[in-house]
Amino acid sequence: MNGLELVKLIDLSRCTACRGCQIACKQWNNLPASQTNNFGSYQNPPDLEWNTWTLIRFNEIEGQNGKVKWLFRKDGCMHCTDAACVKVCPTQALFYTEFGAVDIDYARCIGCKECITACPFHVPRYDKATNKIYKCNLCYSRLRANQPPACVQSCPTGALQIGARDEMVRKAYQRAEELGNGATVYGDKFVEGTHVVYVLPEAVTVYDNLPEKPEIPAAILVWKDVLKPAGLIAAGAVAGAAFLHYVTHGPKVPTEENNNEKGEI
Amino acid sequence: MKKGMIKATSGFERFVHWCLALSCLLLIITGMGMMYHSLDFIGGMMGGMGNLKTVHNWTGVFFGMALLFAIVMWFREAGIPSFPEDGKWIACAGGYLWHVDKDKMPQVGKYNPGQKLFFLVVAVFGIIMVISGYIMWFPLDFSTGTVRTMFVLHALGFVIILAFFIVHLYLATIGVPGSASAMFTGWVSRAWAKTNHPKWLREMEEKGTLVTYGGEKRSGRA
Repeated sequence: MNGLELVKLIDLSRCTACRGCQIACKQWNNLPASQTNNFGSYQNPPDLEWNTWTLIRFNEIEGQNGKVKWLFRKDGCMHCTDAACVKVCPTQALFYTEFGAVDIDYARCIGCKECITACPFHVPRYDKATNKIYKCNLCYSRLRANQPPACVQSCPTGALQIGARDEMVRKAYQRAEELGNGATVYGDKFVEGTHVVYVLPEAVTVYDNLPEKPEIPAAILVWKDVLKPAGLIAAGAVAGAAFLHYVTHGPKVPTEENNNEKGEI
Repeated sequence: MKKGMIKATSGFERFVHWCLALSCLLLIITGMGMMYHSLDFIGGMMGGMGNLKTVHNWTGVFFGMALLFAIVMWFREAGIPSFPEDGKWIACAGGYLWHVDKDKMPQVGKYNPGQKLFFLVVAVFGIIMVISGYIMWFPLDFSTGTVRTMFVLHALGFVIILAFFIVHLYLATIGVPGSASAMFTGWVSRAWAKTNHPKWLREMEEKGTLVTYGGEKRSGRA
């Protein structure tokens, strides 16, 4: 897998919510478990945490004949090609790996939390104790060793695969077509393409916490692409204008008559 | 100090001015260190980007307090436009950009409309910077949409304040010679006052509030 742009394909039609991926992720990345808290769902923990980088979300929707339909979705970092978190990070702690994933350099992270606000998928999480941000890095250490990410390795049903981007996207569309009934591919069309791609058996809108049209927030674009250069341009312009004013119009010195009165400036 | 110099500012005014100015400068430097990756060395000088942000945040608290004093202290003199002379002054750009005949120039009081505009920009955007900065300091206590809006406001405030800061620096030093002493020693020359703020000088003379260096307080209409 070395040197390849990779995509993790998540075929939700094959997910049985065994949560092996959740455990494998914690094991490989040495993440402690959190105290279980029953909030009326099998979803556990209730949300992504600094120590939970991937989570199976349990979604109940009304299917045909008024029967309840149970949907499972493996949530986690989507590894955007054009990532809002990388764009806002003031210390360049967030960076793109050679596999196309987004990783964090913990020596650089200062816990400013700007990536939390920027992420369209609400993925990065903050840990107060270490004052750092945490999220999935697509098991960078494993990819470097030519091994699939821990979640993919653990998946018993084939819902998770990893491979070359083009191949995975092709497979995703093939699978969506096979499934029919409104099954769609999610990920390849947003933020220049994510490096996690879903096959969704149901419409995007029925899944919890899955934005329909994720994009870099407009505020982030205005900040980083407009105001950031504008600051330097404006400062340069007024400094130049002041210099021009000085050499053409000249400084405003007290007029002769006022000067003569006391003979001083 | 030459005899006959005119008192323009109190010691407290100068103290607040420099608290505001120096903290603003430090905020600009540390803020730029965070915004522009090519200025990473500023963080390095402070022992890392984490320290840089800590310095930025707490300087912001200090700036906010200095700003409060500055607004309360100067609002009456610099925050309220006086018509019609301020309108006339703006119409001829205060004589700064093109030649204006002396008889067409309105008589300027203690602060000209340009200075008033600078005061208002610092007051309004200063408050915006403090509030948006606070929210960016504790982003998890606010909604994502709110914090995103603050990013834009904070960056916009930076663009505007930095531009005004440079203009202020120019006009207070080489642009209008004789001005800087108002914020260093507190004394300005009579010629400077008569040229730049004649109405202020005349009113002080009429009211008898004029204080000159080495001289008695002038009595009214003497």
